[in-house]
Amino acid sequence: MDLELSDEQRWLEESVETLLAREAEPWAGLVEFGALSVGGDDGLGAVELCLIARALGAHLAPVPYLGSAAVRFAAETVDLGGHAVAFAVLEPGSSWAAAPERTALTGEVVTGRKTAVEHAASVARLAVVAAGPHGAALAVVHADAPGVTRVPQPALDPTAPMFAVELVDVPAVQFSGETVRRLATIGALLAAAEAVGAAGRMLDDACRYAAERRQFGRTIGSFQALRHLLADLYVRQASSWSSVLYAAAALDEGADEAARTASIAKAYVSRAAREVAHGAMQVFGGIAITAEHPAHRYLRRIIVRERQFGDAVHHERALGRELASTAVPEPVT
Amino acid sequence: MQLAAIQSERRLQDEIRGFLAADRPDAARLPRSLETRMEALRAWQARCYEAGYVGRAWPREFGGGGGPAAEQIIIDQELAAAGAPEFANVVGLDVLGPSLLRFGTDEQRRRHIPAILSAEEIWCQGFSEPDAGSDLASLRTRAEARGDHFVVSGQKTWVSWGQFARWCGVLARTSDGEPKHCGISMLVVDMRSPGVELRPMTQITGHAEFCELFLDDVVVPRANLLGELGDGWKIAMHTLGHERGTAALPRQVKLRTWLDRVVRVAAERSVDGEPLIEEPGAQVALARALIGVEVLRHHAYRTVGEFLNGGAVGPDSSSVKLLMAEAEQRLAATVLEVLGPTLEHAEPEAVGEDEFWLETYLYSRAASVYGGTQQIQRDIIAHRVLALPQE
Repeated sequence: MDLELSDEQRWLEESVETLLAREAEPWAGLVEFGALSVGGDDGLGAVELCLIARALGAHLAPVPYLGSAAVRFAAETVDLGGHAVAFAVLEPGSSWAAAPERTALTGEVVTGRKTAVEHAASVARLAVVAAGPHGAALAVVHADAPGVTRVPQPALDPTAPMFAVELVDVPAVQFSGETVRRLATIGALLAAAEAVGAAGRMLDDACRYAAERRQFGRTIGSFQALRHLLADLYVRQASSWSSVLYAAAALDEGADEAARTASIAKAYVSRAAREVAHGAMQVFGGIAITAEHPAHRYLRRIIVRERQFGDAVHHERALGRELASTAVPEPVT
Repeated sequence: MQLAAIQSERRLQDEIRGFLAADRPDAARLPRSLETRMEALRAWQARCYEAGYVGRAWPREFGGGGGPAAEQIIIDQELAAAGAPEFANVVGLDVLGPSLLRFGTDEQRRRHIPAILSAEEIWCQGFSEPDAGSDLASLRTRAEARGDHFVVSGQKTWVSWGQFARWCGVLARTSDGEPKHCGISMLVVDMRSPGVELRPMTQITGHAEFCELFLDDVVVPRANLLGELGDGWKIAMHTLGHERGTAALPRQVKLRTWLDRVVRVAAERSVDGEPLIEEPGAQVALARALIGVEVLRHHAYRTVGEFLNGGAVGPDSSSVKLLMAEAEQRLAATVLEVLGPTLEHAEPEAVGEDEFWLETYLYSRAASVYGGTQQIQRDIIAHRVLALPQE
């Protein structure tokens, strides 16, 4: 057993970090670097995708990476070239758990309505979860095909713009229900990894601020009330990353527990990342309530990622139902 | 990165499962009386030692198995998963044994390690004092050097299994210099020496596994000094960190067996005609307890991996310790909430089950205190991990 990064993984982490520190619009650089070379024998696995997603979260990169990486991972045979992809899962009035009701795949075409489709205007493909003849299926369509309408929606995080998408008889390449399940698993992990990255940056900044800011004639980081708060945030942050990494490794190894572990990681990180963000804002104090301070931008990204592919309550309910269904009363002796 | 067990690890797992299936005492059905209970635990450890499951990674020349560190962790997890009781010599195995191996002389190791492994001689630790709890370095037990021996006087507390111990690792002050942790040494005290007195303390569970230890001019040969004079603090911190870093994996397995058990009980019991497990609130509470245990597992895997690959157990062992206490306390509180009123109804056949849960709940409050309190762990993280300024 071993959760240590390999030398190649460390190199990947550092290279992406360098790229993101250098470029404010890093999409072309990421594609060129190979961040979309997913799957296969020498492509990126779930662990590598999570490493990249964490770095994107830490830099609040305004890129359609989550969908582009998740769809490639879920549908290994999909041919997307270097195109960006957005996932279209949620429907108006539905939860992340619901089967697609308003979107149907009939024959070779998909028709329906989706909501909260991130980056829909700037991607070349949409990966649409739709009701097919044998249950849920994934339909990949051209984003600019006739019959596709993309309408901007209010977005909490302006670097992750959202769209309502309507599809009328749009030609689609289709993938099985297994692909939909894999998309939910990897999507939850990548969303969690991004949130961990954003929360980690807030925590680092809060620690630095606590070491510099002086009140009552001493640095505020010397006050035990803040030291203990920051220590607790560190534990949340470090364990969140452990959980994402473990679940990603389980997914790469094809472990039986992979989907369940991803659900656990998403449930945990959904609460933990927000807790870290809130705690960091408390350390910053009043300045973090101003629009010019970056805290709210990280918080917005964290909350968007918290909801995507199910928030804590969503996953806790599912895990609880699963626990209950596996309860086997001990035979009476 | 490698999660699945490699072939040799799987072989070891199968071997232990075979051993456990043949015959093992059930931790939940141990004798209530402390004396007979201790005898059972001793016999159990001796049998496991004979089978090669105790001190698997300790050096062969001192009676250990000489295997990789990962093997002992696998063994401990399998034992916990099967609900086997803990070993009688837990303090010797987790605290003083590793100290002896790391800091002891060959003569000390030859004398003590085999008897620790076989549970022939039980060990206890004399660290805390009534006025030196979290502030351990302010301890006042004194050891005066007099030629070839020390004379030790003072009072120790929280001495687990002291009444059964043959040896005690005692932290004592050997000089008054500053800083105060520099003047502390670690002595191995023979519990049969004149001047040693024990008083058992009854815990909130009703058991009396702890003692107070009184040392009154106890003569300790100079040869029983562990490490150099003044090394006591370093030794204690090394072993406490070691304990924090590696105990989490078997611990999370044990917590998982408790979780599975409460789920089973909740499926068997009903209130107002409805099985407890059908209640959506109960399901979510159990899921959150599960998440706590699982995240502990994930985090312990990551931190223990660094240790197994040759790294030291660092200050991150404090984050494991905090998560361990949190997972246990959340689980224990969840049991109270989920089993709810059935814990009061106490049908005659359920008394044993209820007692187990109430004791588990009560003792869970110790998890954020022993081995360095939650507050001390936060101090360690703030200082050594986050490097926040101290003024």
